[in-house]
Amino acid sequence: MRGKRVLVSGMGSELGSLVAALLESQDWVGALEGIDIDPPRRRLRRAVFHRVSPHDRSRVVDIVTAFNPHVLIHVAVWEPNARVNTGTARSLTEGAATSILGAAAECPALEHIVVRSAAEIYGRARNSLTRPDESAPTAPTSEFGRMALRIESTANDVAARVGVTVGALRLAPVLGPHVPSPLGRLLRMPVVPFSLLADPPFSVLRDLDAADALVAAARVGLDHPLNITAHGAITGSQAILRGHRIPAPTIGPEWAITRRLSQFFGAPIPDHVVETLNRGRLIDGDRARDAIGVTPAASTSEVIDSLFAWPSVIHVIRPDSSSVGAA
Amino acid sequence: MAKATAEIIPLERGDARRVPLDSVLRFATEPVEKVLPRPTVDEWGRDQQLINVIMPLAHLRWDVTVGGQQHLPRGGALIIVNTRRFALTPISTALALSQALDRPVRFVGRSDVVPFGPVMRRIGGLLAQPDEIAGALRAGQLVVLGADATSNPRRAGRIDHTLVAAAMREKKPVHIAATMSTMISRQARVEVASVLRPRHKRRGSLAESEIAEQAQRQLQELLNELGGTRTGVPGLGWLGEG
Repeated sequence: MRGKRVLVSGMGSELGSLVAALLESQDWVGALEGIDIDPPRRRLRRAVFHRVSPHDRSRVVDIVTAFNPHVLIHVAVWEPNARVNTGTARSLTEGAATSILGAAAECPALEHIVVRSAAEIYGRARNSLTRPDESAPTAPTSEFGRMALRIESTANDVAARVGVTVGALRLAPVLGPHVPSPLGRLLRMPVVPFSLLADPPFSVLRDLDAADALVAAARVGLDHPLNITAHGAITGSQAILRGHRIPAPTIGPEWAITRRLSQFFGAPIPDHVVETLNRGRLIDGDRARDAIGVTPAASTSEVIDSLFAWPSVIHVIRPDSSSVGAA
Repeated sequence: MAKATAEIIPLERGDARRVPLDSVLRFATEPVEKVLPRPTVDEWGRDQQLINVIMPLAHLRWDVTVGGQQHLPRGGALIIVNTRRFALTPISTALALSQALDRPVRFVGRSDVVPFGPVMRRIGGLLAQPDEIAGALRAGQLVVLGADATSNPRRAGRIDHTLVAAAMREKKPVHIAATMSTMISRQARVEVASVLRPRHKRRGSLAESEIAEQAQRQLQELLNELGGTRTGVPGLGWLGEG
C-alpha cells in the first residue's frame, strides 16, 4: 500500500490540519490534497489545498474528480457553536457531506472513506446505555448528534452505491489548544454551570489522538463504525474544581437563562453540551486498539487538566533587537 | 505512536503569562483542592473518593463477612445474589466485595432519574439492561445482579434470564452469592459460590433460561446451607429469620 492519493475534506479546521500534518509523514500516502472553506491552521509542506465553499458544488466536483483520490477522509463537520452558530453549522456540514462525498463517488479510483462522526450520535434519552458500544442503536437527541447521523448515512449510501468501504469514527468531544470547542470554551469561563442533581460523567478526546485515529482508520481501511474516546471520565463539577473555576450549580429550569448569559459572555452553549452536562456522555472505546491499532494516549483527566493549562494568550517574544543588529 | 505524533506536531510554545483573573480564581478555589484533590470518576461513573467517604458510614450499618471470593476470576463475571424486600442487598454486596477484593464491583439496578440514579451511578450502579451489563462484563468488570426481592431472606427469588443472557453472550462466568442480613443487626454475610456450569449445552435462548433457573435453585441450596443469622438478643432470635 504505497502511493495512495488521499483527499482530506475540512483541511482548514484544526483537526483537519492535524490529520494533514500526520498524513504528510505517512509513507503510504502518495499525493495529498485538501478542501475547505477556511485555509489550514498549520504549515503543510506536501499537501495541496483548495479553498472552496462546500455549497459551490460544481467546483468541488471538478477538484475532487480531477484528483481522483483512493482514500477520502471527511473531516468537514462543523460542531454547533464551535466556529459558527447551529443553523450555519448544519447547513455547511450537510452541504459538505452532499457535495464532497457525492463528488468522491464519481471517482473511479476511490477505495475507502473515513468520516468524522461524533459520540452524540447515540443520544442521551432516559434509560439510554451509560457507555454505548458501536452496536448500540443510534438515536440522537441533539442537533450535533443528528448531524453526525446524517453524515454517516450519506457516507454509507455513497459507499453502498459505488462499492467502497466506509469507516465512521465516533469521536468523544474533541479538545485541544486551538480546537474551537463549545465545551472547552464553557469550562474555561471563570464561573461554570453544572448540574447539581445529576453531575454526570463524560469523557473527552485530545485533538492529536483524534487525528491519530483518523489517520490509522484510513491506513487500515476501517469498514465499520468505531468509538474513539480517552480512557477515564470526569464530571462537570470535578472538571470545574480541577480547573480552579467557580462552580455555578443548576437544577434544570435555569439552564435557559444560563445559556443566554453564557452566550452574552462569549461562550454559547449548544444543546449537545447542555446534554453532556445534564445527562453525561460516555462511550465504549475498547475496540479501538483491535480495529485500528491505536488508542488515545491522553486520559480524560489529562486532557481536562491541559485544557486549563493552555494559555489564553500566547505572547510571542520578539528577538532581541540588539542581538539581531549584531548578527 | 503518541510519541511519534508529538514529534511530528510539536505543541506551540510561547511566553504564557498568567492572566490576573486566573490567579484570583486559583487563590479563591485553593481551599477546595485541599479537601478534594484531583477528583475523577472511572469510565462507568463510579467515584472511588465518594465510596471511600461513605464506606465508614456503611460500616455503621453493616458488618459484612465475605467468603468464597477466591472463586471469582480476575476478569469480568456476573454475580447473582438473593435480595430481601426493602433491602439494599446488591449495593451492600457490591461494596463489601469491592472492599474484600480491592477492585471495583458494580451492581445492577440503578434508576435513571435524579437524584437517586446519579448517586447510585457514583457508587457503581448500572442500568438493568442486558446491553449495559454486557458492556461492563466485556470491560472485565464484576457485576452484582439481584434476584427478585422476597419477603423471606432465606428464599431465593426469580432471576431475570434476559439479564443473565448478557453474561452468556459475552462468554463470562456466572456465580451465585448467598447473602444474609437482618433489619436490626449489623452482622451480614456474603458467601460466593464457584462458577455455575450449565447442565445441558444449548445452542439457542434456552441456555439463559436454564442457567437462570439453575442459579435460583443453587442459590436456594446455598441459603439453606448458610442458615439464618442470629440477632444475639435472647428471645428475639426469630428476627434473624427475616
